[in-house]
Amino acid sequence: MAYEPQYYPGATSVAENRRKHMSGKVEKLRDISDDDLTLILGHRAPGSDYPSTHPPLTEMGEPECSIRELVEPTPGAKAGDRVRYVQFVDSMYNAPSTPYFRSYAAAINFRGVDPGTLSGRQVVEARERDMEELAKFQIETEMTCPALAGLRGATVHGHSLRLPEDGVMFDMLDRVRKEGDSIIMHKDQVGRPIDKKVNLGKAMSADEAAKRTTIYRADNIAFRDDAEVLEWVHRVFKQRTIYGFKPEATEL
Amino acid sequence: MSEAFSDTNTNTLQLEIFPSRLLKPETAQELLGGIAEIEGIIRLFIHGPRIPQTVPYGPATGEPVQHPGNKVIEVAGQAIELAVYVGSIRMEVADTDVKRQVREVCGSILSIPFEFREGNFIPRKQTVSDYAKRGPGADPMMIGMTDPKGKLKHYPVCVLRSDNNEE
Repeated sequence: MAYEPQYYPGATSVAENRRKHMSGKVEKLRDISDDDLTLILGHRAPGSDYPSTHPPLTEMGEPECSIRELVEPTPGAKAGDRVRYVQFVDSMYNAPSTPYFRSYAAAINFRGVDPGTLSGRQVVEARERDMEELAKFQIETEMTCPALAGLRGATVHGHSLRLPEDGVMFDMLDRVRKEGDSIIMHKDQVGRPIDKKVNLGKAMSADEAAKRTTIYRADNIAFRDDAEVLEWVHRVFKQRTIYGFKPEATEL
Repeated sequence: MSEAFSDTNTNTLQLEIFPSRLLKPETAQELLGGIAEIEGIIRLFIHGPRIPQTVPYGPATGEPVQHPGNKVIEVAGQAIELAVYVGSIRMEVADTDVKRQVREVCGSILSIPFEFREGNFIPRKQTVSDYAKRGPGADPMMIGMTDPKGKLKHYPVCVLRSDNNEE
């Protein structure tokens, strides 16, 4: 029987959402065009070619190497793209994802990516077209709510603040605004104005965000409500503590 | 320490209004306007995340931000430029009757849940830094009313009722 990864323990909706994010089996909620994505990322002009740092691998004549024969290069590496980044910020008020689960999602489901996990933000570096594929996936699916999460390349402040009255996570550079029911991005991820407004879709309602979140919160689903998760977290902490102190006493 | 700073205002109450969401400038103006009409507010300041005029760092450094929260609001006939997105309002009031009136104003204006508490939110005595900055003859009303890291000329304290405050 083929092995099926279990990803994460737990019986609550938060645990289920964590499994979804890690496995990449997330629901697609919105569409964003390639040009719009390029605009908000701000690394190159929409429609322009990908700038490269080296010729395509086929033209370079690679040295003989068993690993290179074994591992298929990603499309970005094949074409010699530059390494570029995308950075997400997720509000602590029931945003669908968190930096850790964005990193798990990137590292498990995408190749050639370098996720960086910080307390309030999560950055992924990769070859430009590989990075865009990942960014598009995370923005279009239930991993992102345009109001509770955002693309922020610089000045990420806001994830731990109370939400403003309109429910759109505070951004001191005002990259995202609510216009009618839609969330509009009118600056790129570092705060430079862009030529047109990019519609990121509708914000999740408070109930929907609470249902789709991967964050345990005392006012939604508390961490201590999930007995199986608690058991496994206790087990991991106990095992690693004992292993560091007295490896022969570790129970397997 | 100068006597001017000790045992003053000890009978006053300090309050904090802490809404569950950051307030839009319009709501903040309405709330501050309502509070300004109450007799017995001694001093008050608003607290929240700062909104920059220009992008402070990154590739877009220097670009104008034009944040919708950065507005000029009018409170008791005086224009005040909001440099922060209003997160909480801290104030010193004369007595419990004023506290009750402030609570009523908050309840009538704020449509979102809020916390309303009494405590110590504004320094009652000057610190060594205050002494170094303002000297021995400083006005005790100004203690704790300005950003300790800011320049006084950039963030002035607005005196709404100069007649009542002059002692």
